Amino acid sequence: MSETSENEARRLAEDARDRVNFEEEALALADQVYRVARGVSRSKEEAEDLMQETYARAFRSWQSYTPGTNLRAWLLRILTNLNIDRGRRAQRAPDQQPLEEGDYFLYNRIEDVTGETDEERVLERLSQDHVAEALSAVPHDFRDVVVLVDIGDFSYADAAQILDIPIGTVMSRLHRGRRILKKELAEVAVET
Amino acid sequence: MTDDERCDWCEEVLQPFLDRNLTDAERQEAEEHLQKCKYCRKRYHFEEGLRLLMRLAEPMAPALKKRLSELRLEL
Repeated sequence: MSETSENEARRLAEDARDRVNFEEEALALADQVYRVARGVSRSKEEAEDLMQETYARAFRSWQSYTPGTNLRAWLLRILTNLNIDRGRRAQRAPDQQPLEEGDYFLYNRIEDVTGETDEERVLERLSQDHVAEALSAVPHDFRDVVVLVDIGDFSYADAAQILDIPIGTVMSRLHRGRRILKKELAEVAVET
Repeated sequence: MTDDERCDWCEEVLQPFLDRNLTDAERQEAEEHLQKCKYCRKRYHFEEGLRLLMRLAEPMAPALKKRLSELRLEL
């Protein structure tokens, strides 16, 4: 073997090893990525499709990932871009809808309606299904931020980078998104 | 600040408190109030519980995990 082809073979072997490492690291994060996918999707099926598209794209474009940087954020950036591409943004954000209730609103509402005065019992009035249903009613722009910060546990700065929006926008959408979520939760929790 | 005003202030800082985005002085002020005020303390506990509930989403189906592995490129 000539020196050039030996170098070429070594380079190919290194590439393959890097790629396998990348794929394994990405798969190890799948549970965390899925939680976000589920939060931004209307159904489990939609979340599963979104996961498969995300991972297919990630595996194809692995060379654009810089090792040592935040892989979870990189994967979620692909996921949120795919979600935008798939036209799930048609719903318009109700920017002008008044939402003046404070942050104690949800608690007070459940307490008033059920007569429960113990906070554990008040919380028991809410289920994972209620949360999923309420989240699906939050407009996408707001929901994405709430899901990344409250479910994905990302900082405001990471969420801003993933969604490619200014940090101030993250904060205002988070504030509003949480209020909308609570309003929806109050409705679904009190109905049942 | 009157007690009512302090409760209003605590309600306003509930989210930044849980996001760990308060200054040390603000955080201390909130914690001192929470120790004394059962009304606010209950609502803070509830909110923490709500955040945990949000994170407890259903886990990914094992079949999906397998499908994701199958998307890996051929060597």
